[in-house]
Amino acid sequence: MVSELGRILSPEQVLSGPGAQRAYDCDAYSVDRSKPMCIVLPESTEQVAAVVRWCAANLVPFTGRGAGTGLSGGALPALGGVVVSTKRMNQIVEIDIPNRCLKAQAGIANKRLSDAVKDQGLHFAPDPSSQSVSTLGGNIAENAGGPHTLKYGVTAQHILGVTMVDPEGEILELGGKVPGGPGFDFFSLIVGSEGTVGLVTEAWVKLTPLPTAVQTALIAFPTIRDATETVAEIIASGVIPAALEMMDRGILVALEAAFGLKYPEGTAALLLVECDSNLSAEPAGELVQREIETVAAICQAHNAIDISIAQDEAERQKLWHARKKGVGAMGRLAPSIVTHDGVIPRSKLPEMLDFVYEVAERHGVKVANLFHAGDGNLHPCFYFDDRDPKQVHAVIEAGEEIIRKCVSLGGSVTGEHGVGVEKQDLLPLMFTPDDLRLQAMAKQIFNQGNLCNPCKILPTEKSCVEHKKRWRGVAW
Amino acid sequence: MGIHVSQLTDLTTQCIRCGFCLESCPTFVLTGEETESPRGRIYLVRSAEEGQVQWQDAKPHLDKCLGCLACTTACPSGVKYGEILELARSKVGKSLPKKALLTGMTRPNLLRIQLKLGRLFPSKRIPALLSRLLSGQTPEVDKPQLPAKKSFPSLDESKLPPIRGEVFMLEGCAMRVLYPHVNEITRRMLRRVGFQVREIGQGCCGALHAHNGYLDEAKAMRSRLYSALSGDIPIIVNSAGCGSWLKDGDRSGWVFDASEFLLQEGLAEILAREGTGGLTRVTYHDACHLSHGQGIRSAPRELLKAIPGLELVELEESDMCCGSAGIYNIAQPKMARELLERKWKNIESTGATIVATGNPGCHAWIAQAAREHGQRVEVLHTLEVLERSFLRPRSTS
Ligand SMILES: Cc1cc2nc3c(=O)[nH]c(=O)nc-3n(C[C@H](O)[C@H](O)[C@H](O)COP(=O)(O)OP(=O)(O)OC[C@H]3O[C@@H](n4cnc5c(N)ncnc54)[C@H](O)[C@@H]3O)c2cc1C
Ligand code: SF4
Ligand code: SF4
Repeated sequence: MVSELGRILSPEQVLSGPGAQRAYDCDAYSVDRSKPMCIVLPESTEQVAAVVRWCAANLVPFTGRGAGTGLSGGALPALGGVVVSTKRMNQIVEIDIPNRCLKAQAGIANKRLSDAVKDQGLHFAPDPSSQSVSTLGGNIAENAGGPHTLKYGVTAQHILGVTMVDPEGEILELGGKVPGGPGFDFFSLIVGSEGTVGLVTEAWVKLTPLPTAVQTALIAFPTIRDATETVAEIIASGVIPAALEMMDRGILVALEAAFGLKYPEGTAALLLVECDSNLSAEPAGELVQREIETVAAICQAHNAIDISIAQDEAERQKLWHARKKGVGAMGRLAPSIVTHDGVIPRSKLPEMLDFVYEVAERHGVKVANLFHAGDGNLHPCFYFDDRDPKQVHAVIEAGEEIIRKCVSLGGSVTGEHGVGVEKQDLLPLMFTPDDLRLQAMAKQIFNQGNLCNPCKILPTEKSCVEHKKRWRGVAW
Repeated sequence: MGIHVSQLTDLTTQCIRCGFCLESCPTFVLTGEETESPRGRIYLVRSAEEGQVQWQDAKPHLDKCLGCLACTTACPSGVKYGEILELARSKVGKSLPKKALLTGMTRPNLLRIQLKLGRLFPSKRIPALLSRLLSGQTPEVDKPQLPAKKSFPSLDESKLPPIRGEVFMLEGCAMRVLYPHVNEITRRMLRRVGFQVREIGQGCCGALHAHNGYLDEAKAMRSRLYSALSGDIPIIVNSAGCGSWLKDGDRSGWVFDASEFLLQEGLAEILAREGTGGLTRVTYHDACHLSHGQGIRSAPRELLKAIPGLELVELEESDMCCGSAGIYNIAQPKMARELLERKWKNIESTGATIVATGNPGCHAWIAQAAREHGQRVEVLHTLEVLERSFLRPRSTS
């Protein structure tokens, strides 16, 4: 296999052996692990197509991988086979400023897109906290969101077209520089399909003007309830913040350890609220000022103990740095973390968070929360020692219980991290058997033979059950 | 299965696999390979330590690591990658040629002899044999040149402040052979801010040994050096790699990089007052062991900016390793060359006429690129640039 793939590409584009197999056996969700036979690093769409054709001809499963920051095991090679890494496809192909779009290869890190057009006052709006490393292809596959999703939408709303290689190895162009176009919208099936209907190699993305005015505030609350109740009320007031994020005590402790950040005494929760506008300068400033004042008033009514508003860009960046690196900083607290992802209606936040703490306590695991409160997108983050199988299982069970609760409150099993292998058995909570069959048929049409990222998203298929025993919860 | 406990396991479990370090790691940026990333290396070290893979499987990837510590700057989780690397390297087994090379480079007399011998051989690249032994690749490193003797006019006593203290100055194995004038300049700068160097015979600090996994030896060397430099006065270091290693030791509170000490003691004000113009566009390369190793980024820049009329142009990817990395450019010539070319492209595109840096390894390696590319940009130690500003006649305009 290695030598044949080495002939199709070049030998130094194929990695194999125990070291490489180990390194690619999981993503940032490290509870489940399964090693590939080998890894390929193609440099062009044609090379990806050649690899996929070889896999299809030889019935070898293959799994796409970007930066491997996925949090649900999407890039886990569940049946072994070939991992197709996009990390040597990281070029910007074309920038079209007048039409506010650019085309880039799938392996480029999200933030590099924004950096490339910063001087023109534009950016790529989807901003997952992992944006400094997670790739365009991975963002498309997971339909990634981020703090600014609340106002600007998720990845799907910012992708104009893709070049992809289907599971037979054929190159397809879907969508394009201009939105719309006749025919079925296959394209929206691709975004969010977690790499199960083909590999994206290039994409046209929409560029959004940077805001002309922005105000960012960090508000400290004495109780979790005060903070969560504030969230629903801000949205109800008609203000749509660009971002509305919440962090609890556990995160504050980690941030203090990581960056020496200090928070007012007695803080149980923080809200990070950003209001922005890209109207022409004057009215934008006033509008944003009015919005942040409304927000501040609501916070005060809910017992806020401290409201600090960033006075300049440097201060703003500092507030955001803490938010974006918050999960990373959790490593200061324990050897391993699992970040869960569920959605609930905003109004249920107070009830839901109480439940999260209660579940964690009952299972004897530690939890911290930092999440997109404005979207009702919860990220309970369990921290534990992955060398202890008991703790690993407690974490899996507590997580499942939380997700069940999300669904029972009228929410969803995942907001933005995808289903991957982590949550596939939870899908029946949301869908009837008929719904699931229909989805399976859609997947089948594009992925006959189930070689393209097998055993993902849909509840465990028969062929995966045995394999799953091998990797589920093996952690270490 | 019980919980595996060891120093290495404890250090590696700090990594939560978030991936934030990936795009800062030069070897990952160049190869796109997880095995050449900090996260991948940490995972492999932990796996080897706990018996999931063999140390031999981790070794090639540890060998390719530059030890530049860019990953520690990027990591929000506080993973002590430097310690992981040193411990892991001390476990994967030693290589004889590497040891011979280290010995050659850290004994100034031996190094001098090698340089002289080097001149007798026709080939351009000096450690050809060693490079092949270490890497099996074609060598890339030029024979280092023995420096031309430089002399400086004596300092104008009337302008000097009274002496207010004594310091030690680490002469550095590479520095004293390759760039002895930088040591002389360091003495002059210290004197300009009122400090005198207590001259003392000194050996190697062990930094190169430590960064290559000879941890016990390195620590013994550091202790020996510390006992030679006994007395509670500051130790001033002008080689980033040595400074970074010495700051890890018992006397860490007394060790200062020359740039941070001089800035702290008021050199910027003196430069602004007495320095002269004529140096126009200068750019600055962050030596890894200064920026990532010691967190020193602004001190050298502030000193340079204090020179009247000097425009400091920021270098793209200024804190990305140039590939020199101790003996990396000899052990891993291919990767080192790619990094050097990338660095050089960034340097040229600043339009600067001088690139300043604070480590002899980077200095020699980037200077080689300068020679190969037609000497359009001059490579200098940061302190050399400062010295020039004192030496130029003050312009009358
Ligand atoms: C600290 C941290 C913070 C995070 N914050 C957020 C957040 O705020 N919002 C959010 O949505 N997510 C977040 N994530 C999750 C993760 O970063 C996203 O899911 C991201 O989109 C994954 O990108 P990646 O390049 O790492 O993809 P990978 O993890 O490598 O792969 C993810 C999935 O995409 C598939 N895939 C990858 N490339 C391709 C391709 N070219 N074609 C087809 N399929 C492909 C893989 O098969 C896999 O199923 C966070 C993760 C971490 C570690
Ligand atoms: S940034 Fe730190 S915690 Fe995250 S993967 Fe890298 S080393 Fe591990
Ligand atoms: S020390 Fe440098 S080369 Fe080594 S893993 Fe860290 S960033 Fe990469």
